[in-house]
Amino acid sequence: MQNKHTYISLLVLVLLSSFTLIQNSEVTPNFTLETSQTEFEAGSTIELKFSTSRETAPLLYCSSSYGSTLIVPTYNSKILIYKIPISISSKIGVVNWKLIYEDSLISGKFRIRPKKEVSSMETYIGPPSIQAGGTDYTMLVVIPTDSFDNPFPENTLVLAKHQFLNSEKNEEIFTKNLISYKNIYSQKESGRILVSSECLGTNSKEFSVTVFPAIPIDFKISATRTHGYADGNQITTFSTSIIVDKHNNIVSDATYVTFFLTNEKGNVLKTSGATINGVATSKMIHPDYETQWSVKAYVDGIAESELIILRYKQVIKDFDVLFLEKNRDITVGPLQSFMKQIIPDGLQVKLLIYKNKTLFKTETKTSFEGLVNFNLKRDIYKNDNYTIVVKTAGLEKTFNSKTLW
Amino acid sequence: MVNLNKNITRSILIASYILIIVIIISGISSLFAYLNTGADRSSMLHTKLEKIEQYIPEVTWAPLNNEGRPMDELILNKIENDYLDAWYVKHVAYKTNTTLGIKDYYTDNARNNIFAFIALNSKEKVTVESTTLNHHPTLEFFSEDGQLAVITDKDVIEYKRVFKDGKLILETKEKSTYKIIFLLEDGFWRIRHFVKEKSENFKTEPNLRVAKHLNIKGINYYPQATPWDMFGDAFLKSTIFNDFKIIKNSGLNSIRVFVQYDDFGKADIDKEKLEKLRLTLDAAEENGLKVVITLFDFYGDYSVLNWTLNMHHAKTIISGLKDHKAIIAWDIKNEPNLDFDSRGKVNVISWLDNMIDLVKSIDPNHAVTIGWSNVQSASILKDKVDFISFHYYESLDNLDTSIKKLKKQTSNKPIVMGEFGISSYKGFWKPLGGSDIKQAKYHEKVQKIIVENDLQFISWTLYDFVNIPKEVVGSLPWRKNIQKKYGFIDGNGTKKVAFKYISGQ
Repeated sequence: MQNKHTYISLLVLVLLSSFTLIQNSEVTPNFTLETSQTEFEAGSTIELKFSTSRETAPLLYCSSSYGSTLIVPTYNSKILIYKIPISISSKIGVVNWKLIYEDSLISGKFRIRPKKEVSSMETYIGPPSIQAGGTDYTMLVVIPTDSFDNPFPENTLVLAKHQFLNSEKNEEIFTKNLISYKNIYSQKESGRILVSSECLGTNSKEFSVTVFPAIPIDFKISATRTHGYADGNQITTFSTSIIVDKHNNIVSDATYVTFFLTNEKGNVLKTSGATINGVATSKMIHPDYETQWSVKAYVDGIAESELIILRYKQVIKDFDVLFLEKNRDITVGPLQSFMKQIIPDGLQVKLLIYKNKTLFKTETKTSFEGLVNFNLKRDIYKNDNYTIVVKTAGLEKTFNSKTLW
Repeated sequence: MVNLNKNITRSILIASYILIIVIIISGISSLFAYLNTGADRSSMLHTKLEKIEQYIPEVTWAPLNNEGRPMDELILNKIENDYLDAWYVKHVAYKTNTTLGIKDYYTDNARNNIFAFIALNSKEKVTVESTTLNHHPTLEFFSEDGQLAVITDKDVIEYKRVFKDGKLILETKEKSTYKIIFLLEDGFWRIRHFVKEKSENFKTEPNLRVAKHLNIKGINYYPQATPWDMFGDAFLKSTIFNDFKIIKNSGLNSIRVFVQYDDFGKADIDKEKLEKLRLTLDAAEENGLKVVITLFDFYGDYSVLNWTLNMHHAKTIISGLKDHKAIIAWDIKNEPNLDFDSRGKVNVISWLDNMIDLVKSIDPNHAVTIGWSNVQSASILKDKVDFISFHYYESLDNLDTSIKKLKKQTSNKPIVMGEFGISSYKGFWKPLGGSDIKQAKYHEKVQKIIVENDLQFISWTLYDFVNIPKEVVGSLPWRKNIQKKYGFIDGNGTKKVAFKYISGQ
């Protein structure tokens, strides 16, 4: 009897619990995803459809590459339709969604692929200039994108095209990590490489990369002059041979060349010029006394020339000095050049005046029509004995114990 | 008489004259002083730019093995900074549906996608509070001219809260993989393309530790002279060592100490404070005591955008101390349920939930709990904590029933009563209040309940305090004065009657 009661009560319990179970399942409506497609093309209309037993309108959480939102459905004869907004449906990537109904979450995801046509070839090329010689290179990066600005998936074929002199190349590259890239190496020649690319029949615009010559190698120099005399008047022009790199490309214009001129005293003169078509020229006025120049040119820190030697001959053999007006008026000249012609104006003449064997004063003047005139003023040069030295064109004449009065 | 009056008038006149002069001079001088405050001249040139960390999720770079140009550390850092800033401005944008800052970190074309989302969400009145907790970027490609980079960011843990019309609709944690193309523009590494490659729901396992071995008989500890400022300038290891000796000799085996969030330097941990905490642990170890460290004391902002800062704070402290032998458990936060009303229950609980995961991921060995302020809240997150902890300052009559109920709810997890006690204060503010005898009786009774229910305990507190900062109980004297008298040892260092029951032995 005892057992019977127990059984009955157990049976009742079981019945009751199953009853409550049924109750529960009726309270929570079933949602079944009716949309089986899990891949869509960017920009297409995407709708997620759920069939449901009851008229409710739960929100759909939806998250794409750039952001998340909540979507309100439309309800139509037991079907809930969630229209995915264009800001989600136009961008590639995985979209995950969750149907939010009380505590029960139904979730899933779908993927959006780019459209199958390329709308623009996003191209980056750099560096924009490289060096000739076959070791330096530039990099072409191409991101083919569709009309919604989506990059293409892995292994999309891209043609990288480039032309240089007589060679035109057309190389196949494949997208990886959303981009495709190609290293374009220089050749031995300098010049300009034209680059473009193509993907799924769409071509990019033209890009260009300048190939500059490599660094110069050692070169020669020469000098031209009207005569070999040290007249302090004519100009010697120095020029380089055509400066080239090791592949025989003429170096870029305006390569800076410096000429160093060392004379017999060890003094250094410097003159410089920039190349045009590989040749740099530079000028220097002749010395006004007999000397010899050793000339060498440099492209600073990169290349140098051979040494050349230039000799400058003495032009003035001798000159007269005339003392007048109580020895206060001194005329030097006439100064005559190599053909006994009057030396062109501007030759420097120095007068050194010593008093008691110490230098008292120096007067400097330049020649005019072959003559130089010094006037020793009474205010400065008191009446006394002076030693007067005249220097010009590397020559020197001394007059001891000249008395000024 | 007339003369006297005259003199009085005179002196009043002179005094008032002096007074007026004093007022005028002090007025002018304070005006000058005011004009000299504020920006000093050196700051006009902005020569010193201080970087304020506002977003520091954990970033783990894969070893560099990229195609293209070799990457250097400096550029990689710059990319990382700009990338995290890009996330940050995006979080802010979707939280507020405004476009502030987006332009700096997304190129012309990329930013349109974000603007479109903002337009959509503003129209639908949807806002998203989000943050990312982990990033695992790999540098895939760096272009020869150093202007373009591609990274794959694997297993980005994103936490989001989605609201519609201001109402929370969904809370979600996702693990996603992104591919990102960056362009160097105007000195910024801007995002050009952003593609989500993979995404799945992210759920952490409770990852429970065995807490059965715990046998905490402890006391909440602050030094007598510096309550709530334990690691300040007055920190002395010898004081703490002596106190720990008293605790150990009384038969207790553990203490509970507090790490204040601001005091320890927020996201940028103050090394000195951390060192003092370590010395405290050393002192505990030398005395054979175990330590429960309570984190995030006095922290009250649970906003999603600050999560990464909080996590960084916790990570620095825990990874620095997790191998210390004195540590027995981490208490995530002291009485977080008190912030339910002001900060929102969902905010607080999800913050705690996330923080438990973090602490457990850094320290795989020690138990984790939350120090709830009452029994009613103690079952929150019961499946994630390793032992239950609650504080009890109510009438002891209900304690037994409450514990029995809690035990049922929490399927017999170990329970620690993390704070309890009674003030022996009797005086102007509470004439009929406590006394040392009443306090002793209270502790006698509590210990009985503890034994009966097989509880573990950490009582409040060792000392009576003289000064209590107003942050603790406010500045009202009737609360402050009572708070001062919870100790087992009084202000003069004499053991109170209750000391007999301190460890229930």
